Amino acid sequence: MATRAQPGPLSQAGSAGVAAVATVGVASGPGPGRPGPLQDETLGVASVPSQWRAVQGIRGETKSCQTASIATANASAQARNHVDAQVQTEAPVPVSVQPPSQYDIPRLAAFLRRVEAVVIRELNKNWQSHAFDGFEVNWTEQQQMVSCLYTLGYPPAQAQGLHVTSISWNSTGSVVACAYGRLDHGDWSTLKSFVCAWNLDRRDLRPQQPSAVVEVPSAVLCLAFHPTQPSHVAGGLYSGEVLVWDLSRLEDPLLWRTGLTDDTHTDPVSQVVWLPEPGHSHRFQVLSVATDGKVLLWQGIGAGQLQLTEGFALVMQQLPRSTKLKKHPHGETEVGATAVAFSSFDPRLFILGTEGGFPLKCSLAAGEAALTRMPSSVPLRAPAQFTFSPHGGPIYSVSCSPFHRNLFLSAGTDGHVHLYSMLQAPPLTSLQLSLKYLFAVRWSPVRPLVFAAASGKGDVQLFDLQKSSQKPTVLIKQTQDESPVYCLEFNSQQTQLLAAGDAQGTVKVWQLSTEFTEQGPREAEDLDCLAAEVAT
Amino acid sequence: MNEWTNTGREPDPLPSFLPGPTAPGLGEPQAEVEETLKRIQSHKGVIGTMVVNAEGIPIRTTLDNSTTVQYAGLLHHLTMKAKSTVRDIDPQNDLTFLRIRSKKHEIMVAPDKEYLLIVIQNPCE
Repeated sequence: MATRAQPGPLSQAGSAGVAAVATVGVASGPGPGRPGPLQDETLGVASVPSQWRAVQGIRGETKSCQTASIATANASAQARNHVDAQVQTEAPVPVSVQPPSQYDIPRLAAFLRRVEAVVIRELNKNWQSHAFDGFEVNWTEQQQMVSCLYTLGYPPAQAQGLHVTSISWNSTGSVVACAYGRLDHGDWSTLKSFVCAWNLDRRDLRPQQPSAVVEVPSAVLCLAFHPTQPSHVAGGLYSGEVLVWDLSRLEDPLLWRTGLTDDTHTDPVSQVVWLPEPGHSHRFQVLSVATDGKVLLWQGIGAGQLQLTEGFALVMQQLPRSTKLKKHPHGETEVGATAVAFSSFDPRLFILGTEGGFPLKCSLAAGEAALTRMPSSVPLRAPAQFTFSPHGGPIYSVSCSPFHRNLFLSAGTDGHVHLYSMLQAPPLTSLQLSLKYLFAVRWSPVRPLVFAAASGKGDVQLFDLQKSSQKPTVLIKQTQDESPVYCLEFNSQQTQLLAAGDAQGTVKVWQLSTEFTEQGPREAEDLDCLAAEVAT
Repeated sequence: MNEWTNTGREPDPLPSFLPGPTAPGLGEPQAEVEETLKRIQSHKGVIGTMVVNAEGIPIRTTLDNSTTVQYAGLLHHLTMKAKSTVRDIDPQNDLTFLRIRSKKHEIMVAPDKEYLLIVIQNPCE
């Protein structure tokens, strides 16, 4: 018998190890007879591993776990409160001088006694001083040349071949509006036209895209912005109507209209002007002038309707005979009015330019009734008080000087500009500017001796009477193909800007050189001298 | 001997540019105020004269209302600023007179505790 012992993997002292016993023995058992052949066999070994813990050894595994790091983030939230508020400026209330009873007269007398000697001494010194002779300060950068700042146009109107008939700057001086129409149509037309406005102070100004466009069913011949409301503009149409739009309302800009009643003009409206109402200085009326001889004053009432408040009619017979006119009056011939200008010194006094070529001095306060058979809801009066010597053709534009109460300019189809004084019939001077028609003339709002004229040859001429009274100081060529310039306006807020519109449908905004925007020291006196050359 | 001869003539009148020798303290205050202002206004080249009180409200003026109010408000502020400038530079000093020269004319301000006298003159050039 064989025993085989299989040693375990970790043999430890004292361990018995594995005992593997395998004994195979065939037990001989008694049996009858002789025992059979006994053989010893060796069979395979069967082993049984020990279950003893120490033999098995310590089997260990290492495992670890860890929570991933916690991601954190900070964010804040806040509920917002907002409040709506509106701000509006109001027209300022004029402050008045304190009446004398409210101050202390003896103390005032004592004060005057104290300071009189000092003041008189300083006045004397100043009168004789030569300290500042020839001393000039330049506050702004000097601009030497006239340059074109913007060329504005509205392509759909230009495609229709419309001309720019009138231009106006608004009360803040930042928006320029132009009216499209045609000035050379002799007969009735159903041409649709536009009123476009550009805001020059906007950074995203696109010259071919106006900031406001109004479509008008008939050609617009004249335009005027409201003196205090920056978005209201009045326009006169070819059909004789007068409309007022509000350009800040995009969906329906029409505010007031005269409609086509008995009162409205029967001829194209040549010019519209805003006038302050006599009682309320911050409400305005619209005055319209047309070639049918009527001068009408409209007031906007309630439901979008312009109502006639006062009217005047010009009749040939009633014109004052202060100058010899070529035509003799037959019947009640109307005198067509083509231009109007109000005096800045007397708000009731205005100058009318007529188709006959003679300017008329008129007054809103005239009382005489007009001998006309035109129907009207308001009695029409004859406004003319004085007739001046005529031009050689119809007058297209008049302008009253903002610096002198008696001077005004008129320009007409004979290419001449006449400088008139209201005190005499013949003009003070007559300047021939162009061989073609002159369409517009305007005094400069800052320099008393400067005016600008727009001619049919496509140029804008700037005259400085201080430098030369014979030829223009600056000639600006607006159009390349000599198509006429129909209108021009100075910007009274930004005095270096001059806008002019021409027959190609473009409006050009010119920046004038510094010599046209700053007044010299003695200009007002020079203007007075010029006006005083009235022939006795 | 009589050195003094009586020539029978009136004494020569005083030269006209001196202020008149009347005794101002005895005259009526109202008339005196008027006279003084008229004297200043009729001086060579003076365009306008006005008196403004300590709050900047005009009291007497020879110009129209709106121009007066504008001058009074603006010059009052400017005078106060000028006065504080002078005092800040040297606390012992004080403003006595303010003159502003512009292209067209010269504005003179005589300041006081209670009133301001403003005169606008067109100097000959």
